[in-house]
Amino acid sequence: MGQVFLVVPDAPIEQAVQLNANRTIGESGIRLGILDNTKGNADHLLNMIIEGVKKEFKVDSVVMTRKAASSRPAAEDILDKLAKEADLVVSAMAD
Amino acid sequence: MSLLETLKQKPGALVACDDDPEAVFELMCSKGWSDGLPVIPPTAERVERMLAYCDRDLDKPVLNIPPRFGAATPVRIAANAVMAGCKPEHFPLVLLALEALADEQYNLYGTQATTHPCTPMLVFNGPAAREAGLNAGQNVMGNYFRANAVIGRAVRLALVNIGAAIPGTGDMATTGTPAKFTFCVAENEEQSPWDPLHVELGFPLESSAVTVIAAEGPHNVNDHESLNAEGILTMVAGTMTITGSNNPYYPGQPLLAFGPEHAATVANDGMSKADVRQWLFEHATMPLSRFSKDTIERRFRRKLAAQYADAPLDAPVRMFAKPEDLVIIVTGGAGKHSQYVPTFGNTRAATRVLKRADGTLAKSLNDFKRS
Repeated sequence: MGQVFLVVPDAPIEQAVQLNANRTIGESGIRLGILDNTKGNADHLLNMIIEGVKKEFKVDSVVMTRKAASSRPAAEDILDKLAKEADLVVSAMAD
Repeated sequence: MSLLETLKQKPGALVACDDDPEAVFELMCSKGWSDGLPVIPPTAERVERMLAYCDRDLDKPVLNIPPRFGAATPVRIAANAVMAGCKPEHFPLVLLALEALADEQYNLYGTQATTHPCTPMLVFNGPAAREAGLNAGQNVMGNYFRANAVIGRAVRLALVNIGAAIPGTGDMATTGTPAKFTFCVAENEEQSPWDPLHVELGFPLESSAVTVIAAEGPHNVNDHESLNAEGILTMVAGTMTITGSNNPYYPGQPLLAFGPEHAATVANDGMSKADVRQWLFEHATMPLSRFSKDTIERRFRRKLAAQYADAPLDAPVRMFAKPEDLVIIVTGGAGKHSQYVPTFGNTRAATRVLKRADGTLAKSLNDFKRS
């Protein structure tokens, strides 16, 4: 049986530039960012995570943000705020 | 240089397979490049023939399809169009639909990944729809008609293969909908008593356009008895007011597809499309009490507090936020049925008119033929 060459119909994942986070967590602790996706109970889940992180680690501050809608990406100003004010961000969804 | 020779120089652009239809189908399924139905093998030769009706740069992405944000180049889209069974002259309409889906207001990212059973409904208008052989008559939302079947299927295959809308990982639909195989119609402009959709939206009558809507499957409106507009619209309003739809909660643009006989009855009573929208805005409502106690408390009273925090249980809940949000078309053949199509909600309809690469309006699908 002969062979045919088929055009691959999918697309590879674009290789994102690898950025290493330049975290300089101070002695005062982690600056924790929170991104609530607005799904039902996401706020409760995130509050549980905040409490859990606080029990395990030293937390300096918590910055809470919330998307406008769960099915839309977070707005630029929210992402800028998180990039500026948080060392790491927890995003969660629930229902 | 042939497309085959060109692609041979690009790592990963081709895959070898036994020259056998069943082997090709098995390969496609094993790779996840399928909608579960057999496909036409996308050989380089067939893809090249498909691209004979493409005047774009073949390697320049038309869009990046979420959630993978895969680069949808004409070559990759053409491979999916071949698989779907498209003729080359269908290809400009496949590209047009994908361009419309790229409109930010459509929210392709959200509609691809949601648990809701939405899928792009493609509504074509204008001469290109007729030229492509799109059915606008009997059984328009059903089976049998090649152009409707394959153009919608090609778009879905591109969403799956290029965008990775793969059930369970990229496409989180709880149940999905059979409309995900294809949901592609043309408006029955000849039998519509009103301006066709694209003209209503400001495009020339002689232009061709697609409007995309993040749609549930259609909900039938059977009305064999009503003899006037109010009667028909009363039955439409009854079909629209369903508690399981997203549209009571999220502003969206549901679609009403009148069958030509229902449209004639409504128009003969002197009602324009704007009149229909206003009437349904006022009458397609249901009392808050129709929803479950928990839904009233958790959804309406909390999440929609500005409107419903203290609303009485007989407060009317509307199916769309503004009269102009309801999209109206006329499609289908003889018979006393229409269709109501709810939407995902956090999405807006998007319309694109068929243009050549140089930006001029296309008069014919042949305008895209490469010399």
